[in-house]
Amino acid sequence: MESIIIAQMAVSGAFMGLVYALIAYGFQLTYATSKSINFGQGELVMVSAFFSLTLITVGLPYWLVVPGGLFFGAILGLFVERAGVRLALEQKSEGWILLTIIIGLFGFSAAENIWGRDDRPFPTPISSDSIQVFGVSITPLEISVAIGVLAVMGLIELFKRKTLLGKAFEAVSADRDAAELMGVSATRTIMLSYGLSGMVAAMAGILVSPITTVGPTMASALILKAFSVAVVAGLDSGFGVVLIGLFLGALESLASFYIGSGWREAPGLILLILALAVRPNGVFGKASIRKV
Amino acid sequence: MLVVENLHAGYGTSEVLVGTSLEVKQGTVVALIGANGAGKTTTMRAISGMLKPTKGRVLLDGKPVQGQDASRIARLGLAHAPEGRKVFGPLSVEDNLLLGAYSRLPLFFGFRSKAAHELERVYDLFPRLRERRQQAAGTLSGGEQQMLAIGRALMAKPKVMLLDEPSMGLAPVIVQEVFNTIRRLKEAGITLLLVEQFAKSALEVADYAYVMERGCIAVEGSPAELHKNERVLAAYLG
Repeated sequence: MESIIIAQMAVSGAFMGLVYALIAYGFQLTYATSKSINFGQGELVMVSAFFSLTLITVGLPYWLVVPGGLFFGAILGLFVERAGVRLALEQKSEGWILLTIIIGLFGFSAAENIWGRDDRPFPTPISSDSIQVFGVSITPLEISVAIGVLAVMGLIELFKRKTLLGKAFEAVSADRDAAELMGVSATRTIMLSYGLSGMVAAMAGILVSPITTVGPTMASALILKAFSVAVVAGLDSGFGVVLIGLFLGALESLASFYIGSGWREAPGLILLILALAVRPNGVFGKASIRKV
Repeated sequence: MLVVENLHAGYGTSEVLVGTSLEVKQGTVVALIGANGAGKTTTMRAISGMLKPTKGRVLLDGKPVQGQDASRIARLGLAHAPEGRKVFGPLSVEDNLLLGAYSRLPLFFGFRSKAAHELERVYDLFPRLRERRQQAAGTLSGGEQQMLAIGRALMAKPKVMLLDEPSMGLAPVIVQEVFNTIRRLKEAGITLLLVEQFAKSALEVADYAYVMERGCIAVEGSPAELHKNERVLAAYLG
């Protein structure tokens, strides 16, 4: 029975890990084009989830709530870029770090005032009755998380590889000045990356909320682990965040079962510290060569 | 086609260009030569918008473009193959070329077929690029990267092309190849402003030349005239 329990814990944890991976992927998108990330990404997940919940409570069907939530997330992402990142980047300053944290805090207060401090259930038409696979029970809800995460990431990767706009996105990551000389506007590409990143955050919120409930504090728990995943995997491998996400999710679920639920955050932090000490570019990151 | 009037530009408080003026007529190859630090590359950067000029005018096809973003000037028909080549290392050779034509292709679908004709022309000019079309540009040799940078600029079908130090860091035999390419482009009627260290080779292909010293044009004339100028002869062609 012991091995079944371990497998059960690992599998449920791994599904959560995919959500961390999706949020970490949002970091990668903006880092690629602008070498900046939104430190308020967790609040973006939370506010988008609340917004989607509101859409549900006003009676919108679920298949309209998802695109609505994603659109809202993209708008928030664009807002973060305009208000918190663009001016700092234009002045080649690191001010975006503080500004994005502040926008996140503002989002937190706004959520408390608009939606209240309580955690709320997030209704979904997808069933949470478990089905047995090799003795491990899996719910359709968990499968929807996996499909949602992989579909969003797959679509964005397809966009980057198959469309000219996507290639321009990659060109700006590779050499911003040279991309400008081709007629690619770096400013617009960075806007696009923040829009996509916001959309990805909203998707994470919509997927995770039926499992965890929605509340203002959901942001901090998610962001810490997403950040660990991003750092451990490296900021330029989409494939890496999925693997590390699965691994970390399984690990923390096992830790909370065997050591105690208070130790849930421990594996993420230990991995984060280890990665920073041993491989600061990430397990899947390319070593950046800087010519002096 | 390209007119530069009294251009001033610099980095921070240090002024590099102090009133550079030059003109590139349609269908001509113009060489810009001069010592290291004279401001040749800065002139290129100020024309293409990578650097904002503090004073002066840049006219592209009669329209003032100074002070606009590099991406906007590129879309108006200026292709700048920059110093150091600056190919997109992680992207394939073909993707690099397609991005060269970015401003005149559809952004989502059908861009490949629309660029096919231009792509074939560039591959005919540089058969080596055709062989390596799927290879990451960063893995090419220096000479191949230079060909890619030129090909990428050609993909835009530009009104004016700026070519900065195409021979930098290349073996002599490859340098010859690069100059042969420039000669062929000239026969095809390209409008080109060429910055070169190898003044001699540059004057061989150019219709007209400017010699830069300390941020402005010191001498100008046809290659034949410059060859008669004793000072130029001693300093750059000796």
